[in-house]
Amino acid sequence: MIEMTIYGRGGQGGVTLAKLIANAYFLEGKHVQAFGVYAAERSGAPLQAYVRIDDVEITNHNQIRTPDHVIVLDRTLTTPCVLTGHKPDGWVILNSPEPPDAFAELFPGRQVATIDATTIAVTNGLGTRTVPIVNTTMLGAVGRVLGLTLDDVTGALAEVNFGGGNITAATRAFETVRAERLAGAVAAPATPPKAGKIMGLLDDEVGGHPRIHTGDWTTRQPHRQQLAPPCNNGCPAGNDVRGFVEAMAKGDHNEALRILLETSPLPGVCGRVCPAPCMDACNRQEFDESINIRELERFAADEGHPHVAIRGVGEPHRWRDETVAVVGSGPAGLSAAYHLARLAYRVTLLERDSELGGVMRTGIPAYRLPRDVLDREIKFIVDHGIEVKTGTSVDQEELLRLTHSFSAVFVGTGLQHLRSVDLGNGSAEAGDKTVEQGLAFLDRIRVDPESLTGLHVIVIGGGNTAMDAARSARRLGAKVEVVYRRTREQMPAIREEIEEAVEEGIVLRELVSPVRLRHDGVGPLLTCVRMRLGEPDDSGRPRPEQETSEDAYFDMRCDRVLLALGQSSDLSILPEGSEVRNQESLLGLTGAPVFAGGDFAANDGTVTAAIGSGRSTAWHIHRTLSGEDLFPPPAEAVAGSDVLHTHVFSHAPRAESKTLSMKERRQSFTEVRSGLSAADNSVEAVAEAGRCFSCGVCTVCDRCMDYCPEGILLRSGGGYEVDFEYCKGCGICAAECPRGVIYMADL
Amino acid sequence: MARKLVTGNFAAGHALALAGEANRRARGCAGGAYPITPQTEIIEYLRRFEFSKGRIVPVESEHSAMAVCMGASLGGARTFTASSSNGLAYMAENVFAAGFYRLPIVMVAVNRTLGPPWNIWVDQGDSLALRDAAWLQLYTDSHQDLVDTILLAFRVAEDPRVMLPTMVAMDGFVTSHTQMVVDLPEQEQVDAFLSTGCDVPHRLNVNRPTTVGGLTWPKETEHHRREIQDAMENVPAVLEEAINEFEGVFGRRPDGAIAAEHTEDAETVLVACNTMARTLRGVVAERRTAGTKIGMIKSKLFRPFPRQAFRDALSGVKRVGVLDRNHSPGSGGIFWPEIATSLSDQSDTIVQDYLVGLGGGDVTPEALDEIVEDLLQRECSGDPVWKEVAA
Repeated sequence: MIEMTIYGRGGQGGVTLAKLIANAYFLEGKHVQAFGVYAAERSGAPLQAYVRIDDVEITNHNQIRTPDHVIVLDRTLTTPCVLTGHKPDGWVILNSPEPPDAFAELFPGRQVATIDATTIAVTNGLGTRTVPIVNTTMLGAVGRVLGLTLDDVTGALAEVNFGGGNITAATRAFETVRAERLAGAVAAPATPPKAGKIMGLLDDEVGGHPRIHTGDWTTRQPHRQQLAPPCNNGCPAGNDVRGFVEAMAKGDHNEALRILLETSPLPGVCGRVCPAPCMDACNRQEFDESINIRELERFAADEGHPHVAIRGVGEPHRWRDETVAVVGSGPAGLSAAYHLARLAYRVTLLERDSELGGVMRTGIPAYRLPRDVLDREIKFIVDHGIEVKTGTSVDQEELLRLTHSFSAVFVGTGLQHLRSVDLGNGSAEAGDKTVEQGLAFLDRIRVDPESLTGLHVIVIGGGNTAMDAARSARRLGAKVEVVYRRTREQMPAIREEIEEAVEEGIVLRELVSPVRLRHDGVGPLLTCVRMRLGEPDDSGRPRPEQETSEDAYFDMRCDRVLLALGQSSDLSILPEGSEVRNQESLLGLTGAPVFAGGDFAANDGTVTAAIGSGRSTAWHIHRTLSGEDLFPPPAEAVAGSDVLHTHVFSHAPRAESKTLSMKERRQSFTEVRSGLSAADNSVEAVAEAGRCFSCGVCTVCDRCMDYCPEGILLRSGGGYEVDFEYCKGCGICAAECPRGVIYMADL
Repeated sequence: MARKLVTGNFAAGHALALAGEANRRARGCAGGAYPITPQTEIIEYLRRFEFSKGRIVPVESEHSAMAVCMGASLGGARTFTASSSNGLAYMAENVFAAGFYRLPIVMVAVNRTLGPPWNIWVDQGDSLALRDAAWLQLYTDSHQDLVDTILLAFRVAEDPRVMLPTMVAMDGFVTSHTQMVVDLPEQEQVDAFLSTGCDVPHRLNVNRPTTVGGLTWPKETEHHRREIQDAMENVPAVLEEAINEFEGVFGRRPDGAIAAEHTEDAETVLVACNTMARTLRGVVAERRTAGTKIGMIKSKLFRPFPRQAFRDALSGVKRVGVLDRNHSPGSGGIFWPEIATSLSDQSDTIVQDYLVGLGGGDVTPEALDEIVEDLLQRECSGDPVWKEVAA
């Protein structure tokens, strides 16, 4: 009888090698037996497999203890231990790139054969360098050394339908295995270590279980990473969206509000008018629907108490010596003033109008942003000890003066230059309201809501101002049409605004561009031209081109035309030769440094981006004045949906805000959306926040700990610690981590 | 017939599938299945097999697996399943029900230690715990014995003189996961051997509504038990008939209730079952060569226990050593008292129990020879001996 012992690690195919060797001899007409020692068959665990070959029936069923040949599949197992019971005339066949005589010290006097099975296997696509599947390669080497033919080897593979790379690898090993008897005297086999005391079930120590340092088996280990949630990454204001939603899920509105107020002083505004790029980025939309983050932000702002969330606002404290002038009280100016005041700078806020708020007050209608919400948030900002000077225009000359009386100046005057179009009605008399800028219209009617009942209003443009003007005109009784030169898909307005406008009965005239306005005796007539979409322009949107057909031109009857064609910065406030620069003060000035922020510096066109710009510019000012850098380190990689394991989650519909009835919407400036219900201890908002996956951020959900089959994950410092002495690298913790926090790294 | 190098689980799956398929012209075949190490590959084989008439139903537990078997068998299908260890323990209630319903279900039991502490290796305590469930129990020592015994099991279980479920046991891993060469039968052979088809006399029939196993008085229950005992007593003869026919079809003769070697003139005889009995063969052969009057018995049929066969084989023997790879706490090995009872009228025979290879301990020829040596020195029997084997 010939007996062989195979030493390998789970995943390398040791048991299959035993079967393949047995098959090769079986095809030669021998009696064979092949088996493995089971139970530790997890990937990486050391294992033994056995082969018996005889000319007569084999009746022994015990494990092999005195093998003729020993086969070692793994470098880390190539130790004198493999010689236990080995008969000196047998072979020791090793997976190694070294020649046999490299093992002269380990296995003196033995017959040793070596083959670089790992390289051959990996080259032939069998496993990876970390876990190579070397069994079929080793079969070739074993066959050659033990005197089988190449046909025996390939026949054994064919018998179990192994082809392709297996055949190539086995053949290569058959041809290149090196074998020789090593010099020296055969050493006495190593004495196996004495077994320790076996503990009983009732012994003081946990009984019966041998302590196996299974961490030695592993080829990979779990590690933790913190990734940037896509919502946080997508927030122009820099809010910790995931963080505030998590607080909401715990029902802690004030904590949610505190997290929001760390970055933005206007959550009630953002929770109403933000286009919510966070929701576009939300990984949950691939699962069912994105989290209703905008409504949650509004809920936190409306239900939380800012003075509870942040204690001590307005109380006496030590101010810095430096002073900062903030020009413009739109979202950028308010944000900059707020953050500077929190950093203990004495801030003077200068506003041309009689009230603070800028475009949030003059340009956003009350049905989207009620005045009391805006007033409440502005009051909280001003409560930080900000000196307010309304009715104060700042021109170039005044700006220069400010640079000599303040330590720094922030300019956030927004977009004061309104784009227009020449409709050939230049002869219109003063006071003629036939053609009016949409923003001027919005500012005018908030003070003096004029009835437009029975009038036909045409709004030109496709942005938020166009929608606001159209919907306001509708509320004042007008029949409203919006004329836009591209299609609805390309409109820059917030999607919901367009949808709500259409719901309210506003007609969208797509692919139409105004040409001129004239009077035909009956009333005004707007001549328009039909457009078509051409090749994409610099903005990536299709370029509108005029139709050339004969009926391309047509007239639209109207009483009013409102222009909403976009705005740009009015740079005339800046001294000659100065230049707006991102993150740095303006060039060409002699006094205190002047910084620009908000839409004035970079036209992002949203309140949220302006808030973010105001904060980061405040931090630039702080860095310039104090040398302290508050900017966080560069963001971690973003947690994409590919790192999540969403089988953990259940589908749940998104909670939506209640909306006003259509009848009321057509008649009043009452806020259209009333937000999520605060009834039953805010159960609706808490449940909505509970839908958050918390992408890339550990919530200490314990799932990794619960699912670890070894029980070697323990809570530690707000996260978990792995006992690597016993971690087999099975990867279940990573596979069960819903948030992509745990990942497996090859050793 | 194809000679193949396969695992015990593959061989068992193959035999069960062919037996099920052989009933395709009658009421087909069925079974409920739930996986457990080391039996899982049998279930996988059966699920992959494309039956002409019948199906294996995956269920959520062993308890339900046996429930499906009972329903299928009461419907007249040839029915089979497989389980192991704690799975058998969980199935137990319905195992008893299947026996007392007298349904000719065949179940392969892959012997594995009952936990805790958790252990997946061989120990016959799992199937032996079900010895009183009115099932036949057959223990097999090799891949070939396993295949042949599964086919015999259907013949005996479905015989009208028996009509009882039958368990065919093999060693976990040592048989189930070991590659050995085996003659795998062809479908035509199995068709010929099981040509009578499965006919359950009390099968449910919509044209003849009945209740099976309703409430009974003590007298009816006792009568029912007596019938089962009578059926059990018919088993040795029915098994012998089946073996004869098997030999006619397949050209080889499987072992019967027991298989005795060198017992004719033996003063000392060892009794073992499953693969331990095969390893023992070499040990006994060497002792014989050295001049010791020693023999051995492979114990295959455990229920009904073949008392007469043991009496005949062990008549006049001085020392009997029983190798038990199982343990009934508070008593000892489970085969031991059965054999001792069989020999109750041989008062001068020593019957010594050895507990060996519990929890899957590796039973080497050396360990068995040490047992032989101990037994040869004995003048009287004692308490069961715990024989330590290598880890």
